[in-house]
Amino acid sequence: MNAIIPLVLDTLSSAALIFFAAVGLTLVFNVLRVLNVAHGSFYSIGAYVAASICAFIVSRHLNPYLSFVALLFSAALVAVVLGPLIESTLIRWTYGKSEAVQILITFGLFLILEDLQRMVFGVQSFYEDTPMRLMGSSSIGGVVYLNYQMFLVAMAVIVVFGLRLLIKHSRLGRLVTAVVADREMAQSIGVDTNKIFILAFSLGVFLAALGGALAVPTSGVAPGLGADTMVLAFAVAAIGGLGQIEGAALAALIVALARVLAIYFVPSLDAVAPYAAMLIVLLVRPYGLFGAITTRRI
Amino acid sequence: MKFKTIFTALAVAGCLGATMPASAQDKPASLGLGIFTFTSGPAAAYGMPGKNAADLMIDQINAAGGIGGVKIAPTYVDEAQGAQGVITEYRRLAADPKNQVMLAALSSANCLALAPIAEQLEVPTVGWNCDTHQLLQDGKSKYVFRPNGNTVPEFVAYAVYLLAKKPDVKTVAIINPDYAFGHDAAKIFKAALHALKPDIQVVAELFPKLGSPNYQTEISRLTTARPDVVFSNLWGADLENFVRQAQPRGLFTSSQVILALGETVLQRVPLPDGVIVGVLGDGWWMSPDAEANPETKKFAEAYKARFGEYPVFPSIKMANTILYVKAAYESAMKKNGGKWPSRAEIAEAMKGSAVTTLTGKMQTRPDGDGVVDQIVGVTVKSPTQSFPVIGDMVRYKGDALMPKEGQDPIAWISTLKPEFAASLPKPGSYK
Repeated sequence: MNAIIPLVLDTLSSAALIFFAAVGLTLVFNVLRVLNVAHGSFYSIGAYVAASICAFIVSRHLNPYLSFVALLFSAALVAVVLGPLIESTLIRWTYGKSEAVQILITFGLFLILEDLQRMVFGVQSFYEDTPMRLMGSSSIGGVVYLNYQMFLVAMAVIVVFGLRLLIKHSRLGRLVTAVVADREMAQSIGVDTNKIFILAFSLGVFLAALGGALAVPTSGVAPGLGADTMVLAFAVAAIGGLGQIEGAALAALIVALARVLAIYFVPSLDAVAPYAAMLIVLLVRPYGLFGAITTRRI
Repeated sequence: MKFKTIFTALAVAGCLGATMPASAQDKPASLGLGIFTFTSGPAAAYGMPGKNAADLMIDQINAAGGIGGVKIAPTYVDEAQGAQGVITEYRRLAADPKNQVMLAALSSANCLALAPIAEQLEVPTVGWNCDTHQLLQDGKSKYVFRPNGNTVPEFVAYAVYLLAKKPDVKTVAIINPDYAFGHDAAKIFKAALHALKPDIQVVAELFPKLGSPNYQTEISRLTTARPDVVFSNLWGADLENFVRQAQPRGLFTSSQVILALGETVLQRVPLPDGVIVGVLGDGWWMSPDAEANPETKKFAEAYKARFGEYPVFPSIKMANTILYVKAAYESAMKKNGGKWPSRAEIAEAMKGSAVTTLTGKMQTRPDGDGVVDQIVGVTVKSPTQSFPVIGDMVRYKGDALMPKEGQDPIAWISTLKPEFAASLPKPGSYK
C-alpha cells in the first residue's frame, strides 16, 4: 500500500498541472473550432504576471496570503487584456479558414508573444514560491508532499466541475452549446455569436493563464515554458478528444500516470511516456477517448 | 577605364582581405573575440554570470591598455538558439579575420559540435566551460583547448570527498540532466564509487529533460528509494528549481545531497548546512588562494558592485579563460618579436601553457586539455556573508585525478583503489 500512495499522489498532482495546460486549448477548439498554437504563450504570460504580482506583494511586505488572490487575479488580468484583443483582431479572421491557415496564423502569434515576453520580462528565470511556503507540507505514506500540490488537485477538480456547470446549467453555457451545434442557426435566432466567441476565447486564455499562474509557486517561470506547455497540451487534447473538457481531465490523468510510472520504473522513457500514451490511445480511438466522428457541411 | 581598373583592383583586394586567414601582421584596431554562452532560457542562470564576467574582465583589460596595446571587442552568441544556430554563428564570426579566437562554448554538446569546425577553419577555440571528457579524447586537436579541466577530475573528486566524509555510505541515487554532461557525470561518479567502495549500490538513476520546470515526481521517486546519498549535476534554472522543490519536501534532511554545481545557487537559494558542493575546478572567489590574491578580491568586489551579486564559478571560469587567452597572445608576441600573432601562432602558444589565474593555475596539456585543481566542500553558515559558503574544504591537485593523455578515462577510474583515495588530502585540509 505504501508503495502505491506515492504513485497515486504524484499522478494526481502532476495531472492537475497538465490539465490546466490543456483545458483552455480544448475549450477554445470546442467553441471556435480553432486550433490555437499560441495557447502555450498565454500559459507562460500568466506565469510571468503572477510571479511579478506575487513578487510585488512580497517586496511591499503586504499580507502574504494576498499572493493566492494574485494567482487568480493575474489569470483574470491576462484574459481580460489579451482575450478580447486577440480574438477580435486575429483569431476572428481565421474562422472558416482551413486548419493549415489557422495553425500558421496562431503559430505566428505564438512567436510574437514569445518575443514580447522576452522584451517585457527579460530572459532570466523568475521564482516566487510564497503560496507554496505558506501552505507547508505533509508526510503521506512516508513521503513528504507539499500541501500546495494537493491544492492544485483541488483546483483542477473545481475547474472541471465549474466548467461543466457553466456549459450545462447556465444561460451562457446553453448559448455556447447552440453556437457549437450550429453557428448559423444560432445567429439566425438572435444569438450574438461574436460575443460568444470573445467570451469563449477569453475563458480559454483565462484557463491557460491560470495554469501558468498556479505552476509558478513550485516551478518558477523561464523563457521556453510556453513551447513546452503547448506540446504537452496538444498531446492531452488529442488523447481526450479535441473539444472535450472531461476528456482533457481523463487524458491529463493518463499522461501523468504514464510519466509517473516511467520515472518510477523505466526512467529512460520519462520524456517519451506521454507521447507513447497518446500514440496508443489514437491507434485505438483515432478521435480521442471522448471524441466522435463529426460531419462536415460541404 | 582607369576608374574601372582601380575599382576592380580595390574590390579584389577587399575580397582577399576578407577571406584570407590572418597571418603574423600589423596590430589590428581591435581584437575580436567570439564568446558563446547562454544569454536566454533556463540555462541563462548559468550563462549570464559567464557573460557578466567577460564584460568585466574585458573592460579591466581594455582599461589597462588591452592586449599588446589592442583593445578587445567581444561578440556574444546565445547558445540557447541550438547547435545549428551556434554553428552558423561560429562560421560567420570565423570568416572575419578580426575574430582571431573563439571562447566556445558553455554547453558540452555545442563544444562537441564546434570542435571539428574549429579544426577545419583553423581557429583557436577555447572551451570556457564545457566539461565533457569526450571533447579532446582523440588527442588530435590542434586548435581546440579546454583549460578549465574536464568531467573526469570533476566527478572523481566528488566520489573521493564523499567517501572521506561518509565512509559508511551504502546507497546512492542520481538525478542528472538528460544529455552528455549528465550521463558522463553519472558514469564517472558511479565508476569512481564502485572502484573505491565496491559494495555501493545505485538505487535510482533519473535523467530529466534539460530545462524541466517541475521535479516533484522525481523528488518522490528519490525519497521512496531512501538513498544515503543523492548526487546531482543539474545546473542553471534546473538546479534552482530542483533545490526549491526538494528542500521543503525534506530531501536534504533524509539524504546527504551532493550538488556538483551547487556553488552557483548559494547566493540565490538558502541551502541548508552540510550539502556537498563544489566548483568543478578551483574557481571559487572565496577560496584561501583567491582570498590571498588582491586581483581576485578586486575582481569580486567590482563584479558585486556592477551586477549586484558576487561572482559564481562560471564567472570565474570565464574570467580565467580570458586571462588564459591574454597570456597566449603575450607569449606568442614574445616569441615572434612583438608582431601581432596569427591564429596558428596563438594556438601554438596555448599548447602546453601554464597560466596563473584568479584562483590558481591552469596547465594545458599537449592534447589541449587543462589541468586544474578541484575544490570540494560542504555548505556552512558564514559569519561575514548573508548566504551559505563552502566550508570543510579540500583542494585536490588536478593531475592526481586525471588519467594520462590518451588513456581511456573510465578504464583508468576502474583501476583506482581505496589506497588512492587515502593518499589524497582530507576534507578540511584546505584552509
